[in-house]
Amino acid sequence: MTLYREPLPEDCPPPQAVEIDGPRIVYRLVENDPPADADFSSWRALNPASPTRTASECQSRGVSVYSRPRDVRKMIERSGAAEAWVCEVALDRGAGRIQKTGGRSHYTWWPLADFDILARCQVVP
Amino acid sequence: MKAIKLTEVLLYYDGVQVFAGQDTIGGHYVGVGIGPGIVTNRYMVTGAAPERLRQFRSGLLDLRTLLLESPEGEWFITVDKEGGDTPLFLEPQSGLVGECDCLPGPNFTLDDSPIDDRALREARERHNIVFEFRLQPPEAAAAPRVRADTLAGLLQRLQTLLKCAGESVAGEMSPSQRPVDAAALCLMDVVAPAAAGSFRVLLEAAQPLDTFGPRLLLRALGRVDALFATADDPEQAAELLKPYPPALTAAYCKLLQFLAEQQTSLWYAWAEPTCRDASYGGISAATAQLLTQT
Repeated sequence: MTLYREPLPEDCPPPQAVEIDGPRIVYRLVENDPPADADFSSWRALNPASPTRTASECQSRGVSVYSRPRDVRKMIERSGAAEAWVCEVALDRGAGRIQKTGGRSHYTWWPLADFDILARCQVVP
Repeated sequence: MKAIKLTEVLLYYDGVQVFAGQDTIGGHYVGVGIGPGIVTNRYMVTGAAPERLRQFRSGLLDLRTLLLESPEGEWFITVDKEGGDTPLFLEPQSGLVGECDCLPGPNFTLDDSPIDDRALREARERHNIVFEFRLQPPEAAAAPRVRADTLAGLLQRLQTLLKCAGESVAGEMSPSQRPVDAAALCLMDVVAPAAAGSFRVLLEAAQPLDTFGPRLLLRALGRVDALFATADDPEQAAELLKPYPPALTAAYCKLLQFLAEQQTSLWYAWAEPTCRDASYGGISAATAQLLTQT
């Protein structure tokens, strides 16, 4: 049985999400340097009691990543957060499933429990 | 207390980051997450003129400027407690919006647009190649509409670009494989113009999928993706376009010129029935203007 990092509802990830079966680089905004486990918590994990507004329950249990680092940098600039960095994550077979959601560089990633994210991510300039 | 409905998510990242909303009498608003932290349900909200909101959507106006233009400097905080389709209640804030330390940094513009998986769904249902695009012209500021001239002009330029891309792909084939009329094989039909509640347009390959035409069209669409990808790096775009045949780059430049003149972004997605994910591309009005000036 496939075990994801966070408990997921039935039929989640959706059929449109593809299994990550080879090397693939994605970028995520992190608020710790070096990145910590908490940087990869889903919206649902951080808001356990809140109903979602626009995203599905399934999407709210995935984490947002971009395929272009500049999109993460823009997010940081917008937030004005002093403590935020761009983290490059080297996905590979066993990383879980991923789906194109939102804009052209935005993806939702559902990591598998056994995938060691912190060993595969590094803060980049 | 004033209440608004969220009408469009303009930026999603671990939840809604920037959204557009409307009150019961049709007033337009923009909301932006103000933390603490990136994942938030607390938003700063201001009123926004429809045309200025459209310019923000098109990358022509930055978020900070849009917020600072709030009528009479009025601004609100809302906390999204209920989720779903419930109204967001706006709590008026004292002081002018310009004095708020929660204002986002300068120069944040949108150069992307949320696109759903409709192209892929349609491709599977129609068992054909489907190309969907979305426009944000000035006339669409207050309601989903597009001038007939703008739509016709865009369709014509887009089809020309696809034909040129098809001819460029065919030119690389061996003489025995090369089709006699590559351009004709890249024709697409409009199958759902201006779908209800939107100014999205859906095109479908004019020929059935199991013929040679669509296979060429697929490669032509891939080439169009490559052209639009050069917009990600405006400073290098001219250099990146050099390897392509002059007729193809001319067709692309004419399309950009048209988008710049019409002040509209163009966002698209295309798919064929067996692909796992649609391909996405496009350009903001601001980038189209920048590229046509250089």
